[in-house]
Amino acid sequence: MAMTRMKLAFSRRRLLRTGLSIGLMSGLVISAAEAQQGDQIRKLVLITGAQAGDPQEFQSAQLIAQEWRKLGLDVEVRGMPRPQVSELVWSNRDKWDVTMWRMVGRPERSDPDELVYNLFHSSTREKGYNFVGYQNPEYDKVAEAQRGEIDLAKRKVLVEKAQDLIMQDLPYFFLVYPKNVIAFNSNVWKKDSIVEQSGIGVRNFWTFIGATPAGATKDMVLNSADPLLSINPLYISGAVDSWLTDLVWDRLMRVGPDGLPKPWSAEEVKYIDPTTVEIKLRAGQTWHDGKPVTIEDVIYSFEAPAGDKSPMYKPFVSNIAGMEKIDDKTLRFKLKTPNASFFTSVLAKINLIPKHVWEPILSGDTLKGKNAESYQEAQPIGSGPFKVARFKLQEETVLEKNASHWAAPKMDRWILRIVTNTEAAVGMLKRGEINYLSDYRGDPKILEEIGKTQPEITLAATVEMGFRHVGPNLRRPPFDDINFRKALMLSINRNVQVQAAYNGYAVPANSQVSSALTAWHKSEQFKPSIEEAKKILEKAGYRLVGGKLHYPDGKKETLQSLN
Amino acid sequence: MLSLLSRFLQMLFVLWVVATILFFLFRLMPGDPTVAYIDTNFNEEQVRQLKKSFGLDQPLHVQYVLYLGNLAVGEFGNSFHQKQPVLKILLSVLPNTIILTLSSLIIAYAFGSLAGAWLAWRRGTWIEGVMIPLVLTLRAAPEFWLGMVLLSIFGFQLGWFPSGGANSAGALYTSEWQRITSADFLRHLVLPAATLALYLQGLPLLLMRSNMLDVMSEDFITMARMKGLSTRAIVLRHAARNALLPVATAFALGFGASIGGNVVIETVFSWPGLGRLLVSAVAASDYPIAQGAFFIISVVLVVMNFVADLLYSALDPRVSHARRG
Repeated sequence: MAMTRMKLAFSRRRLLRTGLSIGLMSGLVISAAEAQQGDQIRKLVLITGAQAGDPQEFQSAQLIAQEWRKLGLDVEVRGMPRPQVSELVWSNRDKWDVTMWRMVGRPERSDPDELVYNLFHSSTREKGYNFVGYQNPEYDKVAEAQRGEIDLAKRKVLVEKAQDLIMQDLPYFFLVYPKNVIAFNSNVWKKDSIVEQSGIGVRNFWTFIGATPAGATKDMVLNSADPLLSINPLYISGAVDSWLTDLVWDRLMRVGPDGLPKPWSAEEVKYIDPTTVEIKLRAGQTWHDGKPVTIEDVIYSFEAPAGDKSPMYKPFVSNIAGMEKIDDKTLRFKLKTPNASFFTSVLAKINLIPKHVWEPILSGDTLKGKNAESYQEAQPIGSGPFKVARFKLQEETVLEKNASHWAAPKMDRWILRIVTNTEAAVGMLKRGEINYLSDYRGDPKILEEIGKTQPEITLAATVEMGFRHVGPNLRRPPFDDINFRKALMLSINRNVQVQAAYNGYAVPANSQVSSALTAWHKSEQFKPSIEEAKKILEKAGYRLVGGKLHYPDGKKETLQSLN
Repeated sequence: MLSLLSRFLQMLFVLWVVATILFFLFRLMPGDPTVAYIDTNFNEEQVRQLKKSFGLDQPLHVQYVLYLGNLAVGEFGNSFHQKQPVLKILLSVLPNTIILTLSSLIIAYAFGSLAGAWLAWRRGTWIEGVMIPLVLTLRAAPEFWLGMVLLSIFGFQLGWFPSGGANSAGALYTSEWQRITSADFLRHLVLPAATLALYLQGLPLLLMRSNMLDVMSEDFITMARMKGLSTRAIVLRHAARNALLPVATAFALGFGASIGGNVVIETVFSWPGLGRLLVSAVAASDYPIAQGAFFIISVVLVVMNFVADLLYSALDPRVSHARRG
């Protein structure tokens, strides 16, 4: 009995094996026949922020997927919490297909260098910001050249060339330059004293020092949805924190309302030769503790981040080879290589800090082996137009005007409230609990409506220098094919994006240099067309089989969809 | 005494389990804490330095041992993003949360037990028909909705109360005590406390009512009636006292439970408390703060459980942990 069962099992196994090999053989035959045709393109996963976290981006992704499906692609829109998106895109560079992404506007991005170089230069491809994996030696050359070119006209040609190359190679599908919308009470602040900074909006340094009270209220009360993380001149902590550091700590230069750097704590800045910059310190400046601002303080401010005490600021001073004190007012920076954005991204970025405060901290054992980021001054000391009166990071921070500053503010106090509820923030503006809505993430139409019934609530919408875009992973087919990318790009209607995803509060985008940077931006005429996209795919050999898009002949699908 | 000790040891065990779960929970969660720093100038060297400063360059088991050792001496570490000691950050917001929780609990339980007793007395009347559904509705309504409704009516429309925060803009106080006893602070407290109280009152009310109904059918109440005592005296002095016992327990547990459950209310009213801190810490993968906040919440919950036990035996001698010979 046992014997027969064993035999049976044995023969069954043989039978199975034979069957299997027949199956395999026929499989081989079929695949040989199919070798002519390309495989069906796998399901593509379009990654986006979660709907609840970023409804605009999610909506935008849905619209894009809808168009791509018309090309015969299988597209899934997958919303994820922002940190998860970042980790996937940043740390797993060969795993994802295509992602929604955004760049935010910051004063130092008024110079196009950061976005031209760091986003697309091949040196940042493995570990840096070039996570889409763009590689073009010609682009590298142009990006490097514009960085070193101090002649404005010549540099402009190079920056335009860089934009041309991106528009031609399509490593990003640009969507929109969003408009930043905020509002203020013009019964409290004179309208004409509110300054619009190009690409940033009306919430900026120039507004804060220039805003003039229209009536008895002399305190500006603002809101932020996020709590502050720290008030520290050596730590780039959060976006909102930088509103404060900007006001408390002066810099040698500041990015002006026009987006160009202008001398600030230095009254004069000039090139001696392409790698030597000379500054003259403005006379009579003092720290908030009353001590004078000296040239030694300035030197110290640029030396302090160079070590390991301020890792976030370190990259900004890494091009400084040395500093030479000429006299008590004059200092020369010696650069390692010529750097066109030196004024904007270094001189207007590095906070001037008092040597007498920070040297004992950084060189003593106050930090207990940690770096300067973990040090929170009980009373922050800068030389800026505002002094810190008191702060509770989770609740409220109060700045007072520094009346002895050479550009003293018109307001008495600058009070930042942490308001986590967007509706409540709007309610507060209506009721006067705040008079400057500095952080608004809701629907701009709601503010428009309020403006109609309460005319003193004044809206200000500014095109940002940041942008929203789609980042295809160029390491992964079919995104490595320029024709495929061209077709995807052509099928996105950016005008529809502006209206349907951004409620009209955005303008179509076409390049890494925002149209807000009028001096550098290169515009482009674009005509979205699904028909044109289909033609390009067809011409490149892609085939529709049963409504599904297949690779050109001979091309196998070797990758898995993101799971 | 021995049983007290064993209860205490159990408490420690529970806290160890909580601490362990917290440790692994955050490390297994998707999202690396360094991604919050991603920026165009961000490079590998910075990632390495960040991980080192966070202690994340160590193997997991080493991190775990360090973590437990630190926890045992009350050291929660430094926040990844604020870079400050976690305990300092937690303690800066804890008073706000405790005041909000306690005041709404007291209102809810005072109102709940009185109204519950009264409703038990008025059993079968139209009052019960109106009140019970109303109580249940308030209990079931989402807190954020309730909060927004109150905010919209009493804040935005009538302007009786401020729309958020714990103090008026720029208010200056000489001490923490002066701050929390100021009229300004109390005015800010009204709406969030009312919202929380409206949400919390359901439990004590229903608990009290059903206990009262039980007690009312007991012999000693019949006895009291036979003695000719007034209704008031019977309800308050005899029945309510006995029915209050489970409510007292619920209060202790409720305190533990709601101290961490204020996330929604704190967000709606921009109330600078523990819950809000917790949400932003989780969102930013700030492990030390999230761990610390959750741990403190668990400690309060476990301790209040313990207190409820003790309270029970103190209030009702029939319930006791002591062994009887």
